Amino acid sequence: MDPSLVLNRRRWLLGAAGAGAMASLAAPAAQAARLKTQARIVIAGSGLGGLAVATRLTHMLEGARITIIDKKQEHNYQPGYTLVATGVWPVGKVRDRNADLQPAGVEWIQDMVAEFDPAGNAVRTAAGQRVPYDYLVVATGTHQDWGLIEGMDVTAIGQNGLASVYPSPEAAQATWHAMDAFRRKGGNALMTLPATPLKCAGAPLKMTFMLRDRLAQAGTLDQSTVTFYSALGSVFGVKPVNDNVVARWKDLGIGIETTQKLKAVDIEARKATFVTPEGVASDVAYDFIHVVPPMRAPDAVKNSDLAWKEGNFAAGGWLEVDKDTLQHRRYKNVFGIGDINGTPRGKTAATVKKSAPIVAQHVVDVIAGREPGQKFDGYTSCPLIVREGAAMLIEFDYEGRLVPSLPMIEPLQESYFAWLMKYAMLKPAYMAVLKGRV
Amino acid sequence: MYEIWLALNIVYEIALGFWPALLILLLAWLALLAVNRRGLGAVPLSRLLLVAAGVAVLVGIALPVLTLSSFRNFGYWVDWANWFAVAAGAGGFAAIWLWPVMARRYR
Repeated sequence: MDPSLVLNRRRWLLGAAGAGAMASLAAPAAQAARLKTQARIVIAGSGLGGLAVATRLTHMLEGARITIIDKKQEHNYQPGYTLVATGVWPVGKVRDRNADLQPAGVEWIQDMVAEFDPAGNAVRTAAGQRVPYDYLVVATGTHQDWGLIEGMDVTAIGQNGLASVYPSPEAAQATWHAMDAFRRKGGNALMTLPATPLKCAGAPLKMTFMLRDRLAQAGTLDQSTVTFYSALGSVFGVKPVNDNVVARWKDLGIGIETTQKLKAVDIEARKATFVTPEGVASDVAYDFIHVVPPMRAPDAVKNSDLAWKEGNFAAGGWLEVDKDTLQHRRYKNVFGIGDINGTPRGKTAATVKKSAPIVAQHVVDVIAGREPGQKFDGYTSCPLIVREGAAMLIEFDYEGRLVPSLPMIEPLQESYFAWLMKYAMLKPAYMAVLKGRV
Repeated sequence: MYEIWLALNIVYEIALGFWPALLILLLAWLALLAVNRRGLGAVPLSRLLLVAAGVAVLVGIALPVLTLSSFRNFGYWVDWANWFAVAAGAGGFAAIWLWPVMARRYR
């Protein structure tokens, strides 16, 4: 077993008493208003969203049978991947045992949902088990569609200048090895961005800023070029942030192509093929490439009646939820949390922080026969690292408005405070969200 | 209020990572408090403040380096305010912990 996992378990055991004390501070209000029910609640997925909602429901309901379905044994702190992939954090900091994070009193089926049957109020697992429910929370996260990039091999990340922060902690660590090797010599670096909705859409920008910074630190910036190839028409979906980043990159000498989609990669030859919307393809040689996969809903959601059938989110098969209530638009006993939601923005841990209490409350509302009464504003956040030691704390809503949590925070001001948040405070905040306390 | 609750939770989760060490420090502090309780009231406030200021300065100088940054990355007053709060907190913690140690001289 990985030593870091053993240490994590030990830390959890040692902290159990303290956690109990903290929980007792948070729980009384919820416990005082606990709703008695025998409802069967299934939560598909045990990422941050699934666990945060499950924990909250255990505090808000009495007698409910709550079941989490997810086979993963390791919980990953995905917001930390960019720190691992740029040599800031060791990989152990993003790895925890999933068993340690399961809320008390919740059944955990260690399998994956292979089929959703919302008309029959049941899900079927990969092993064939049918699990009926009265209420369902979909928290499956995204599917990374690597197959849409010809020649891409996720297992080759870390070799031949191939990098990607997205697939796993191991890939993030291998990405740092590739970046570290590249910065010693310098050369031509390509940073890619697909046009699909992405989880942590700031990650490709952070990787670009940090690569440039690592080259500067190594003294190889002069013999290097860094170019950002976007298929999005911009580099970020929030205009003030996009404009700010573009201006910064102009000053830093980072090139930008905004209509180039990565079509193929020849890993051995270190050659990438990009294509324009008009279908014009071009080959670009590289020494380092950071690949961001197109993303969509997992097959189980995409192929079910839970997916959007028309509109912008239909192609990706994203969950058809009302963006304000996060309740399914057709199946009123179904809710979505996190990256799977087909909503205009917000596939980050910060989105879960703000929306998990709303989803949990709305599940309780529906059980109690009430209409969901709260409105999610689409809040999300991105501590955008601009170099080692400095970041911008960007928070925005569905409309793309910058909405800082505290009035004194300047979203587009690079700062040590934002870096300190990212480096030392956001994982503790994440754990508090996961435990249903904030 | 929410931000205060969030900050408390962040501090708590960070402390969880140092749980055994913090427990030892707490037990040692309680023992020192019991042993030197008679001298506690005699410790001059000025000395406690001096200790707090000294530790705060040391932590303040070290903090950016310990977090892989530097004072060059301080962009606006919010950075300085947070840096001051962390340094002052560490200074206050040190002064409170050392209070019974200093009281030994005044028993």
